Amino acid sequence: MSKVKTVLSWFFVILLVMTSAWVFLNRNRRAEPGKNYIYSTEEFQQVDPALIHYVEVEPLVPSFGNPSSLAIAPVGQIYVGGPNCVEVFPDGEKIQVPATPTCLAVDDDGILFAGFQDYILVFSKERKSMLCLSPSKKAYLTSIAVDEKWIYAADAGNRRVWRYNKEGGNPIEIGAKDEVKGVRGFYVPSPFFDLDIAVDGSVWVVNPGYHALENYSSEGRLISSWEKAGFNIDGFSGCCNPAHFALMPDGSFVTAEKGLPRVKIHNPDGSLRCVVAGPDQFDADVTGLDVAADLQGKIYVLDPGRGKIRIFEKKKK
Amino acid sequence: MKPLQKQSRRDFLRIAAAALFGGAAWWIARRRSPRMVWQIDPEKCTQCGRCATHCVLPVSAVKCFHSYSMCGYCDLCGGYLRPDAHGRNTGAENQLCPTAAIRRKFIEDPYYQYTIDEKLCIGCGKCVKGCGLFGNGSLYLQVKHDLCVNCSECAIARACPSDAFKLVPASDPYLLKSNQEERIS
Ligand code: SF4
Ligand code: SF4
Ligand code: SF4
Repeated sequence: MSKVKTVLSWFFVILLVMTSAWVFLNRNRRAEPGKNYIYSTEEFQQVDPALIHYVEVEPLVPSFGNPSSLAIAPVGQIYVGGPNCVEVFPDGEKIQVPATPTCLAVDDDGILFAGFQDYILVFSKERKSMLCLSPSKKAYLTSIAVDEKWIYAADAGNRRVWRYNKEGGNPIEIGAKDEVKGVRGFYVPSPFFDLDIAVDGSVWVVNPGYHALENYSSEGRLISSWEKAGFNIDGFSGCCNPAHFALMPDGSFVTAEKGLPRVKIHNPDGSLRCVVAGPDQFDADVTGLDVAADLQGKIYVLDPGRGKIRIFEKKKK
Repeated sequence: MKPLQKQSRRDFLRIAAAALFGGAAWWIARRRSPRMVWQIDPEKCTQCGRCATHCVLPVSAVKCFHSYSMCGYCDLCGGYLRPDAHGRNTGAENQLCPTAAIRRKFIEDPYYQYTIDEKLCIGCGKCVKGCGLFGNGSLYLQVKHDLCVNCSECAIARACPSDAFKLVPASDPYLLKSNQEERIS
């Protein structure tokens, strides 16, 4: 009996020694990287709660994952593009399309304009494909807007805005560098290049490399612009922001940024009005937040990471 | 006595032949199987900073690579400027890199070229994170094979929280982000 005890004690002693040696040899003897070696945007993640004027309500969840594009029809339906499909809320209609649309627009007559990488397909109210526009082989279409007269398409590949009439004819290019006319040209480092039509018929276009919004007449004349770069809440961070924007009925801008994901509202003169959602309301690595606003002032945010259209309403006083 | 001697000589010959064949097979197999080296999968790296602190070398064998074909040549470069930079210029207080290893050169309005001074780079990945968040992700980390001593168990791989280190054939030792890669250092 005592022999068994001795053997067991030795066994445990040896086990202990071996475990300690293993822990000692494998222990991390190197200092962890200090603050100097770690990139941090922490100080810009916090938003003064008094600046947040919106609350999140129930989202729209498309039947497909990976939503890619968003548009609101003038009559209020929400169109969401995804893999080979455009889904309409609240109707539940599903329109089959040949690929994943990168951008969408709907006009007063319910005609759908779906942008794919280098072409635009126009679908009638009966959802028959009736026109195909292809600005250039190098095109990378990132945004479409339509009014009763014109179709505008933002092309990140050629760094141009294309304007067509509703039949797809009479194309002109907007935004080519022209120092005499004060046009510096679009500077688009990555495929985030958005536009929207104002109530006066002019078109607002993001010049993302300059963190600017530029206003052009339908003939391509530069009317005005504003810009604000910086990580602070009143500016646009990184090298290509705002990644998306939408005009509100009063002419203010709803903007969405990448890198430091946040959705804000800027007054028509560019000054910050308020924050819709701060960085802590999004996944840190999300890119491609798209935004739209309806006539009642509700903000719709396409969140590709969560596969939803998140909805924000103004807080009640 | 004689048959016993015969027996042990035969045994000796048998063992020697087995050792010879075994050794030859091992040598051929070693020659045939490719030599492997450590490399970082840029898609998995989360820029934790340990590449700068955990290499066995006094200055890490991990360096920043730049894929020029992916770069936006941005004025407000997320990899060059600190998030709280006061200006878009080469002022030391605006630079993100802790060792000032990134050079910024004006090309034409509004484009700037960024190059890495390999001797100064310590592989911390700070610029990689900034570029990935705000730019096109053209900066990334790689183990430089003229510096790496190819430890049988890479000290960084052991500490990497993202499982980004892997063994790749020495004949193709880099995991480049673009096949149009041109490295200027
Ligand atoms: S240890 Fe891993 S995650 Fe950290 S910087 Fe190196 S490769 Fe990237
Ligand atoms: S920030 Fe770090 S990884 Fe980038 S160049 Fe400087 S030392 Fe190298
Ligand atoms: S294998 Fe050794 S020398 Fe090479 S990167 Fe890893 S720790 Fe450094």
